[in-house]
Amino acid sequence: MVPMVSRLRGSDEVYLCGRVMPVSFKDTAAIAGIGLSRLGRHLPESQLELAASAFRQALDDAGLSRDDVDGLSVNFGWPLGLDYDRIAESFGLDIRYVNQTWTHGRFVTMSLQNAAMAVSAGLADVVACVTAASFTRAREILGGPGDMEGYREEGGTHGENPPYGLTAPAGGAALAMRRYMALYGATAEQLATVAITLRSHALLNPNAIQKTPLTLADYLASRLVVAPLRLFDCCLVSDGAAVVLVTSAERARDLKQPPVYISGMQGLRSGRDEFIFAPPGLGINQQGPGRVTPKPRDQDVYAMAGIDRGEIAALYTYDAFTPLVLFVLERFGFAQPGEAAAWIQDGRIALGGELPVNTSGGLHSEAHVSGWNSIVEIVRQLRGQAGPRQIGGAEFLQWATVWGDSVVFRR
Amino acid sequence: MDADAKPLPRITQDNRPFWEACRRHELRLPHCTACERAFWPPSPLCPHCFEPAVEWRRVSGRGTVSSFVVVHQKWFPAFAADIPYNAVQVELEEGPRLTSSLVGIANDEIAVGLAVEVVFDDLSEEITLPRFRPRP
Repeated sequence: MVPMVSRLRGSDEVYLCGRVMPVSFKDTAAIAGIGLSRLGRHLPESQLELAASAFRQALDDAGLSRDDVDGLSVNFGWPLGLDYDRIAESFGLDIRYVNQTWTHGRFVTMSLQNAAMAVSAGLADVVACVTAASFTRAREILGGPGDMEGYREEGGTHGENPPYGLTAPAGGAALAMRRYMALYGATAEQLATVAITLRSHALLNPNAIQKTPLTLADYLASRLVVAPLRLFDCCLVSDGAAVVLVTSAERARDLKQPPVYISGMQGLRSGRDEFIFAPPGLGINQQGPGRVTPKPRDQDVYAMAGIDRGEIAALYTYDAFTPLVLFVLERFGFAQPGEAAAWIQDGRIALGGELPVNTSGGLHSEAHVSGWNSIVEIVRQLRGQAGPRQIGGAEFLQWATVWGDSVVFRR
Repeated sequence: MDADAKPLPRITQDNRPFWEACRRHELRLPHCTACERAFWPPSPLCPHCFEPAVEWRRVSGRGTVSSFVVVHQKWFPAFAADIPYNAVQVELEEGPRLTSSLVGIANDEIAVGLAVEVVFDDLSEEITLPRFRPRP
């Protein structure tokens, strides 16, 4: 059966395998199940054990059985996470569609989008997005001598340059924040609001690793990691697993939970104006200088979902470092270029504010499950299962990253 | 990778002319002979005008600090003794920005916009790293 077609622009149907298929994937796929292992630091469980826990929870949540899962999408394999083939053999799955990207946070969105497109194209019925991380055992890999990712970059779009001792991702985020401070006068006190807000969200989340409030004094007293970034500008180094089950919208409607629809998508951006940790125009690496306001093609996610940006009830982002929250707000036009540091003040990104950000605490204060913990939180929110963190009446929530990709979810 | 040694540049077919020039204490960047612009990172095509007309030309070695950081955390044992050390991006007069480090200045005196010039640090017979120092 052909799912509902949304006509956005020009010709939006193709003839595929004897059927008319919609080119637009608006609302053709949905998240039907979520699972989150316990989260912590130095957990005794292996990645497989953490993933198994999350996988069983997600199936139970959706009312599906193991045999229903015929696709895997993994953004985070060896050496940091579990590879798709190990997951399939260990859990006894019979898989007919696989997507696995290189071990990197920048591919979270793509992994979810691939799952959505696969079920929409009929390549799989149920795709499990599986992420298992035990970062506390991987310190050598995170910016240390075992970090081949950092070495690969060699001054690339992530900013690492090992011969100069710039070996960890924090260095690229720090380069971007320093220039942002110099150009726009943003201050450490303003940036602290990101950390303090995310921590306040975590305090409402019993799963979150961080359990104590963060004050401005705590923040300013925390040690410098890569100046201008301090310890509390950096996310948790933690262990945990998340599983998100994606299926067709049609099938999701027959399952146990209310579907959370994938209404809009736009992909990862790349080019000379792109630096992973900076909005276009900031002037890092070969980015052109000058303030850049989003172009229409940088807002495709809203057009596809058929909404205005103002209808987004909360924003979720890959908050590996606090500046990324400022930059994603500017990238998607919530704040004007250079103004996000001021814009986030006075509770604007806190629960109850104009645009709550990462309501479970995010990578910063809940756990670093490569952002998938925030996808899980989006689903809880749109189902009305977020407890004390519930955003009343939320219809559209957005996942978006500073590297420009995004998904809009609808209940 | 040797955990006890500082990592060396990864020399590839594409960037080899850069590192060979550094050994001779020359800073050279790829230039397009069609549109005359310098660019970075190296490419067999001009990323501006897409012409496959590339020549490695010597550049001034002068520029300004476009951003900088000071590393306080130990990630590599080999850098432990240098902590806190700086890393910078320098916008060269010819346009491209390079990642490097500054010598001859205290970390707390580095600022965005600082005028700098290249100096060469011979790490070994094969490898010379370009660094920068404040310009008078």
